[in-house]
Amino acid sequence: MIKFIGAALIVLATTWVGYELARVLRQRPRELRQLKSALQSLESEIMYGQTPLTEAAYKLAKQLPKPLSHFFESFAVKLSGGETTVKAAWETSLKLVWKQLSLKQGEYEILVQFGETLGQHDRLSQQKQIQLAMIHLEREESDALDRQNKYEKMMQSFGFLSGVLIIILLL
Amino acid sequence: MDTVFTLLPKKLEEQFRKIPLSMANKVEELRIRIGRPLEVIIEGRPTFLPYLVHDEDARQLLHHISKYSLYALEEELKRGYITVSGGHRVGLAGKVVLENGEVKAIRDVSSFNIRIARQKIGTAEKLIPSLYTDEWHHTIIIGAPQTGKTTLLRDIARIISTGCEKRNILPKKVGIVDERSEIAGSVRGVPQLDFGPRVDVLDGCPKVEGMMMLIRSMSPDVLIVDEIGRPEDTAAVLEAVNAGIKLMITAHGRTLADLKKRPYMAQILDQHIFERFIELNRNDKSGWGCTILDETGNALPKIGSVKE
Repeated sequence: MIKFIGAALIVLATTWVGYELARVLRQRPRELRQLKSALQSLESEIMYGQTPLTEAAYKLAKQLPKPLSHFFESFAVKLSGGETTVKAAWETSLKLVWKQLSLKQGEYEILVQFGETLGQHDRLSQQKQIQLAMIHLEREESDALDRQNKYEKMMQSFGFLSGVLIIILLL
Repeated sequence: MDTVFTLLPKKLEEQFRKIPLSMANKVEELRIRIGRPLEVIIEGRPTFLPYLVHDEDARQLLHHISKYSLYALEEELKRGYITVSGGHRVGLAGKVVLENGEVKAIRDVSSFNIRIARQKIGTAEKLIPSLYTDEWHHTIIIGAPQTGKTTLLRDIARIISTGCEKRNILPKKVGIVDERSEIAGSVRGVPQLDFGPRVDVLDGCPKVEGMMMLIRSMSPDVLIVDEIGRPEDTAAVLEAVNAGIKLMITAHGRTLADLKKRPYMAQILDQHIFERFIELNRNDKSGWGCTILDETGNALPKIGSVKE
């Protein structure tokens, strides 16, 4: 009896791990898409509204779903607090939410680099910076989608099957 | 002053906070130049604070003023000054970037001049009986730079839009064309100074177009315009006057006679539209003095000098 319960627990645990890994794979392209749309809104705020960064960030925080909204909110709060630079506020906010995001180091670098240019230029160069960041993110997105297609299903079955393997070995 | 201090990065703020409170209320300008000590101008006299400004201070100051968004200041960087909340003006100088021979922006700003806006409510109060008899008169305020033309004009605008119960003057609709954001000191189109309820401001709009725009769109009773004197202004002024609107304008010069010598102003004056001329002069001892002339150029009974 105990054997069965143990076996069931093992299978449950490994399946769960598999699903979790698959979720990360699924989550990454979604977050990248949200990030891209955030940059797009930022672009229109800058180009047409000439909205100051703080306000723009508050607006973005309202539009976006959760982990990203926290990012923009903390960015806006830090900026309006003063006594900081855009770069520092952007980077610390990014670090704050990074754990909750499924994004990778590559995206981190892109975002940090983008943060350095924010608010430092006139409108046209600002737009160019945004578009540059968008292109980088797009590349990451297609990579993320690729990985999702390849590995998502595999991870799910891999979890379950590895559980079964452990049980067979133990029996 | 507090609205100014919030603009400054901490380091600079600390320095300026050292100005004693009794003096702080008289500060006219704060000047910040890279590599040179901070300068404070109090009642026309410069005082230096022992603090050398670094590149970093200047950069931070610019970011503070722009709220970290230089892109939002494109137009301002082209004109060379920024109006900030409180109506203060920050003048900029530094390396200018050109595009097709036109100024595109000031990059590498190295000098800042923060001009403190201080509305002197009530300066025009004494002049009102001369400017209003049953209706407002077309008025030109004449004065050399720094004599307080704009200050006076601003207060007149305030009185017109608030009205004056004592003298039985009803509030009138006032339109202000504020080409250099100097009269109303608007931030995002909202005047930062007290103007009473019936004021509409076209901020940063060229005078000629602005006057016509306001007449068409806001039906003002009185139009307030600063610094008339360019050739194209003449036509606009005549147009407005004939549209049945009262005009209050300022012009550079010391006396009415001076004004008559300026070709474009002479054209306006020849039409005998303006009924009141306020000649402003500033002397060190008694503050401001002014003489009001009627349409024929004769002085109206003296009402005394307007002291600060």
